[in-house]
Amino acid sequence: MSTVQLIEADQAPLLARAYYADGDPGPIVGALAQVPELLTVALPFIGTALGPSAIGWRTKEIVIVRTSALQQCRFCVQTHTVVALDAGLDRDQVAALRDGRPLDGEGFADPAERALLRWIDTVALGPGPVDEQARDAMRQHWADYEIVELTAVVAVTLMLNRFATALELPTGTDTLARLAAEGLL
Amino acid sequence: MTAAARPVAEAVAAGTLPGRVWFYSNYHCNIQCTYCLTESGPKVSRRELAREQLVETAREARELGFTDLGVTGGETFLQPWLPEALTEMAASLPVVVLTNGTLFGRRLLARVEPLAELPVALQISLDRPDPDANDEMRAPDNFRKVVTAIPELVRRGIRVRIATTVESMADAELDRLCALHRELGVPDDDHIIRPIIKRGRAADHGLGVLATQPDLPAELTVTADGAFWSPFGPTVRAGVLDTDLLITRTTRPLSVPAEALLRLVEGRPPGEDSTLNIR
Repeated sequence: MSTVQLIEADQAPLLARAYYADGDPGPIVGALAQVPELLTVALPFIGTALGPSAIGWRTKEIVIVRTSALQQCRFCVQTHTVVALDAGLDRDQVAALRDGRPLDGEGFADPAERALLRWIDTVALGPGPVDEQARDAMRQHWADYEIVELTAVVAVTLMLNRFATALELPTGTDTLARLAAEGLL
Repeated sequence: MTAAARPVAEAVAAGTLPGRVWFYSNYHCNIQCTYCLTESGPKVSRRELAREQLVETAREARELGFTDLGVTGGETFLQPWLPEALTEMAASLPVVVLTNGTLFGRRLLARVEPLAELPVALQISLDRPDPDANDEMRAPDNFRKVVTAIPELVRRGIRVRIATTVESMADAELDRLCALHRELGVPDDDHIIRPIIKRGRAADHGLGVLATQPDLPAELTVTADGAFWSPFGPTVRAGVLDTDLLITRTTRPLSVPAEALLRLVEGRPPGEDSTLNIR
């Protein structure tokens, strides 16, 4: 049971109707539809930050799952565990990302991904400046525009983590079934 | 006029956008009509707009290029400040205020008297020419109070319109109703007959006709819960506000919902060009 009423298709406000055209748009839209003028600005932004871009799908899901695990966002971890598996991460890698303990890069052979994992933990856990070693490692493996986008993905995920957790958004039944089948529920 | 206001003003001038802005001053009412869209009654949530918001938004409406104002409820005259607010609003634009006409005792009549000099019309509900049939849908003694109040208002020089809300009416009954409103001092041009809309309490009673967005004029409607496509939008069912005709929660500045309404009217809702996979 979510904290607020999630708007269903028959009550979708006029500015929100486009998001319901292909069926149930999920609880983030269902909640944001309470404030249509916010929805119409937030969704394109969130979609651009987390959707397909110059950063690969697998990399983005590493950021989203890890950030969400650090923030203990049940909805985001569960939802993006499934997406991460589809994006090519193996079960052990996903399990490691979901474990809130510090990662020393185990299970992640690529040094760029290891640098990213350290970056995510530093940025997502805050507060204050990120440490110099994490910054240097990122610079060694990622271009400026990639660092900007990856940091934005962490930040947008943090926003969604707090949003979904505070509003107790429900995980979809299909997602729960898949997690059960993967032994990741 | 600001650059942001110009598109709204142009759309109103061109007839693309209706010129009237509606306000729901409140949702509570001293009676409970069987077909009420907003489930209004004495015990409901009041959902009130502040007097200052009505007056200031009226000014904004004029600056944006709107041409008329409407105030509805609930029973609007349950707001103790309404006569003075109408005077202030009429300084911006002409106003029609909807009322059930049952509260016009001597004191209220004296307070509305100054409205006679202003572009303010009172639209009073009167559904049938016979007390029993009228009161069955509205409230006991409603007919008597209304036919007493209307001549008093007319005598004071206040413009009165009569709104008849019915599913259907035989010609003979309509003839008698029209004879009655003429006798009360209300000309034919100020008699409006409109259907019951199947929302709110009307839907619970199986009354009225279904009306969807294309059926309703895009009359910007400001409420305590946000801005809506039409005064038939912010309806209530089982105590819950309908959001299917909600435009924005933001009502101030008025340019926010006005521009969003214009985009909808022009058929280009923002966001329709974005593809998202967020769940």
